[in-house]
Amino acid sequence: MTELMTPGSLLALFVAVPLLCAGLSVILRQRVVDRILLVGVPVLAIAGAVALMLFHREVPVLASAIGAYEGGIAIPLVSDTLTALMLATTGLATAASGWFLTLTGEARLRFVPALALLLMTGVNGALLTGDLFNLFVFVEVMLLPSYALIAVTGTWRRLGLGRMFVIVNLVTSLILLMGVGLVYGSAGAVNLAALAGRAAEDPQVALAVTVVLLALAIKAGVVPVHGWLPRAYPGTSAGIMALFSALHTKVALYAIFRIYFTTFEPGSPSGAAGAAMASTVAVVIAVVVLATMVVGAIGSLGEQRFRGVLAFQMVAGVGHILIGVAVTSPAAVAAGLFYLVHHVVTMASLLTTVGAVEHTYGTGVLGRISGVMHRDRLAAVLVALGLLSLAGLPPTSGLWGKLGLGLAVAEAGETGPAGAWQTPVFLGAIVVSSVVTLVALQRLWGSSFAGAPLHRYWPAAPEGGRAKAQTLEGEVRIPLRLLAPGTMMMGVSIVLFLFAGLLMPFIDTATAGLFETGPYIEAVLP
Amino acid sequence: MLVLAVTVGVLTAAGVWLLQQRSMVRAIFGLTLISHAVNLLLLTTGVPGWRVEPLMSTAQAADAADPLPQAFVLTAIVISMATTIFMLALAVIGRDDDQEKVPETGEEHA
Repeated sequence: MTELMTPGSLLALFVAVPLLCAGLSVILRQRVVDRILLVGVPVLAIAGAVALMLFHREVPVLASAIGAYEGGIAIPLVSDTLTALMLATTGLATAASGWFLTLTGEARLRFVPALALLLMTGVNGALLTGDLFNLFVFVEVMLLPSYALIAVTGTWRRLGLGRMFVIVNLVTSLILLMGVGLVYGSAGAVNLAALAGRAAEDPQVALAVTVVLLALAIKAGVVPVHGWLPRAYPGTSAGIMALFSALHTKVALYAIFRIYFTTFEPGSPSGAAGAAMASTVAVVIAVVVLATMVVGAIGSLGEQRFRGVLAFQMVAGVGHILIGVAVTSPAAVAAGLFYLVHHVVTMASLLTTVGAVEHTYGTGVLGRISGVMHRDRLAAVLVALGLLSLAGLPPTSGLWGKLGLGLAVAEAGETGPAGAWQTPVFLGAIVVSSVVTLVALQRLWGSSFAGAPLHRYWPAAPEGGRAKAQTLEGEVRIPLRLLAPGTMMMGVSIVLFLFAGLLMPFIDTATAGLFETGPYIEAVLP
Repeated sequence: MLVLAVTVGVLTAAGVWLLQQRSMVRAIFGLTLISHAVNLLLLTTGVPGWRVEPLMSTAQAADAADPLPQAFVLTAIVISMATTIFMLALAVIGRDDDQEKVPETGEEHA
């Protein structure tokens, strides 16, 4: 009989608190309560996650078997440094998005706070669970409120896009479910700790895990299955897009890291039976990652809307983060994880700031808006810093992100699947992607923030939506409070630039946790 | 056992074909068929033959069916029912199924 109350049982609070608060928000339906919950619950989650990160310096892995069943039978909630880091990062972005939603008034729309909190429930659950089928369930918990959120806010495009989003995600979920079924059929377990190293030994399990990874790749927006992301996201409102961009793709990325490194154990030499299969998978991953980096950057050149450009930049970012999975050296994984944190922070800043511009002037089409720089200094500074961060230039976290990746790829040498070609190919892709990104962002900046002063805008209509174009009067400015979430997130990015050393020990521990699966297995299956 | 494999294949094929139609309702039927296929697939990951109910009081472990895939299927059915209802609601909101016309929302199309 295991003890009922352990430090591990507190992990369930990350799931239970947002879930209960979502219910509370529906029952009370008080605007003040909604606002407090929408920002307060993510802030609580950040506090919890930071405490967890500090706790993991002594205890590397914390596991709790739900219902106090024996390990291996129970569904485990597992947390290590990587999990805690992800909880903190997603919590931070959720708080910023939630704050922005309350400022734009979207939080007043029916059920939006409750839906956002439910989304957070699913995200925290998916990050914490150590069971593949439970991962599927939490991904569904995450998607159901998203379907509703995409339909509640945004432009008229949302109605058609909502359908596309639902259908794509449902088919993906079914593929994920199929993969989980195949894993159970071939390995006899869906507990991640019980699956450790199995894919490297058994080609059947490897194939089944690959189906799971395929489904997660679709959800992460990896080329060539990225098409839904740049179409669906810009159709929603900026606040919702900030929420989605920080949560959906990043949870899928976390799951890819966790599942790939646990089941394939790419760091250790594999048996003869599974080696051929594992190396084929590694080659496919490398090709896909390279394509994602380059296609994402090129795609952002052709977009006509602010957030269309940013959506393609998200695809490019996914490619950069996954370099850690393609080049499986500890340095590359650490660089990929740092890039993930940087990307979430930068995207949240950019999306909320650009959202403030759109909210005030009524359009996000590049040709229709110009010269924002002359009107709103702070917005222009924030967007400029955000764009520099995406391109990988100082004084932002982007510099360390790109530099870390480049150095890691250069160091890794010939250990990866591409052999002698690895370093030049990956370095080339990073450089091409960065240069194309710079051109695309230059286009965004030049057409809308620089350029002729703005003379007309589309004010918010009292009955909702947008009124007809009007001549712009002098006093129309972006309210400073709308820029507050973006300023906060950009501040975080600059802090990450100046004090990256504070974060690096945690990232190194998280990386070590991915390579050394021993403590993870021991904690889950005592 | 081949019957199950063929059924899963036929259901998936039919589902994919329906999914490629422009009409939302057909796409929903397509998704339902695929989810049935996945449910059958999940069931086959246990023992596909008929076995005793997995209740500790009445059955021996050697005769009992594997309860885990059954639990998987049960969960999957509940989730797919919820999403089907939501999608049917989406289909009702946008009467014009082929998306050529933009639904009226009273907004200026910026």
